[in-house]
Amino acid sequence: MKMKIVIVDDDESILDALSLVLEEEGYTVETVLKGEEAFKKVLVCKPQLILLDVLLSGVDGREIGKRLKQHEETKQIPLIMISAHPSVKESVIAVGAEEFLAKPFESSELLRLIKQYTRPK
Amino acid sequence: MKVRSKVLHYLNPIAHFGEKKYSFFFPLIINLLICLLSEWYALGIAKNPNSVGAYIIFINVASIIYFSFRDGIRGGIVSTFITIGYYFYIIQSRNYTGSQFTTGVEATIILGLLYIFLASVIGWLRQTIDTLIEREANEKRRLQTIIQQLPVGVLITDSKGRVDQSNKQVEAILGVKIPVGFIPGKDPAILKRKQNGKPATLTQSPLAQTIATGKPVVRKEFMIQRKDGKNVYVQLSATAVHNKKGKIIAAAEIINDITQQKELEARKDDFVNMASHELKTPVTSLKLYTDLLLKRVKQYNDERALKTLTGIKNQTDRLQELVNDLLDVSRLQTGKLRLTKEVFRLDQLIVETSDGLQEAAGNRTIRFSGKSAVTVFADRFRIYQVLTNFLTNAIKYSPEGKDIPVRLKRENGKVIVSVRDEGMGIAKEQQKKIFEKLYQVTDPKEKTFPGLGMGLYISKEIVKRHQGQIWVKSEKEKGSTFYFSLPSQKR
Repeated sequence: MKMKIVIVDDDESILDALSLVLEEEGYTVETVLKGEEAFKKVLVCKPQLILLDVLLSGVDGREIGKRLKQHEETKQIPLIMISAHPSVKESVIAVGAEEFLAKPFESSELLRLIKQYTRPK
Repeated sequence: MKVRSKVLHYLNPIAHFGEKKYSFFFPLIINLLICLLSEWYALGIAKNPNSVGAYIIFINVASIIYFSFRDGIRGGIVSTFITIGYYFYIIQSRNYTGSQFTTGVEATIILGLLYIFLASVIGWLRQTIDTLIEREANEKRRLQTIIQQLPVGVLITDSKGRVDQSNKQVEAILGVKIPVGFIPGKDPAILKRKQNGKPATLTQSPLAQTIATGKPVVRKEFMIQRKDGKNVYVQLSATAVHNKKGKIIAAAEIINDITQQKELEARKDDFVNMASHELKTPVTSLKLYTDLLLKRVKQYNDERALKTLTGIKNQTDRLQELVNDLLDVSRLQTGKLRLTKEVFRLDQLIVETSDGLQEAAGNRTIRFSGKSAVTVFADRFRIYQVLTNFLTNAIKYSPEGKDIPVRLKRENGKVIVSVRDEGMGIAKEQQKKIFEKLYQVTDPKEKTFPGLGMGLYISKEIVKRHQGQIWVKSEKEKGSTFYFSLPSQKR
């Protein structure tokens, strides 16, 4: 069965590029452009991993992260948060995210992280 | 009461100093009155023409001194003439014998000369004092006008630092009228000043410093919390005023309002910060797209496509570095660059960095020599940045096929890293400037490489924040050696 990943970002080019890269690696990708819809999408899709941008228009990605990490059904899903501000790393880890990735990153770096969390058990 | 004090003021000889108003009629009338009174006393009351005697001489001398003081030389001379005239009248009218007459005339002439001398000396003194007082008053007025016209705030204090003059700009900038006698920096109830975010003490006051040391204090930045709630940023410069003997007699402080400049800088920094972060998102997707494409193209054995894509990838990386440099410059300027220090082996970092850059160096070889097992306590990533900057510069400027020696040594409790290239070298006058912000060698004859001139500035600031030093030794046409030092790690 294919691994499923949900990506939340308000920038379409990032969503598009990430989908391409991840699909190439054999993952199934669901993208969310609006922060408000992220939580619902995760509940419906039940992904193996979530990629979440910190700076979303409208909502703070960290709020979504917090909610995901507090909810019974979603808290065990590995969460990787992405931001152009390396300074937010600490607050992201405090929210409960497993990893933080600063933009711009290499695709190899991203894939290494994802593989670490989606190894079949 | 008012009339009395007016009369007293009119009669007081010293009260009119500096006025340069000399009365002619006043000494004339008073001296005539003295002569009439003494004549009335001798002939009317004493009924003895010779009874005027020594008293009249005493009164005349007093009147001459008084009037030369009050009305200058003119007042003294008028008094003298009337007095001498009266003496001659006495000699003429008293029916003296021949010898008595002669003695009287001679005595009068001598007295007259003495009186004139007295009147001239005192009158001259009075007029000189007048001139001096007026000159000082004019000087003060001129200074006052200049001070008031200046676009900056000016405070002038005495030798104890107490304000005795200020201009209207001071009030406009500080939002409070500085009372005479106030010591700036002493009373926060009148003026709240902060330096580097902390309330400023009196010893930080430029005025107090210049009075204590006698040396000028230049452009110290303070923040003023105004009573109306506004915060203003000021630059204070103070200079002590010395007299001829070198004793401090006063001090002046210039208050420059730099709030607007600060706000503009902050807005610029905000903009650079925001723009750099905004740039990061497209760079990220660009990198992801390129990586994916590269991976796919590699399967097709298309040399040209691969070369093109590698070009795109390299340029994207360069773009990323530029964005990072921009962000670093912005962080440095806003003081937001945080160092995460740890203990690590500097020699290992040098080897790793050199290895990573060897590919980019092509046929130039980076050769590391020197101490091994050198540990430092520093921010590993930031020191890596400095090394990378030194090495990429050396690669850029080194002729093909040459070695790039990298050395590491210990000296006086410091570790020193040097990177040498055999490039075109840097002219003496430019050696200091290359570490300045956004400086570029702009000589059109020089074959230089493009860039925003941020690398060495960032390196300098990083090294500075590690209490280290950065410098260059270079000779035109022979090459350059860049150095940086870090404090040795204490065991």
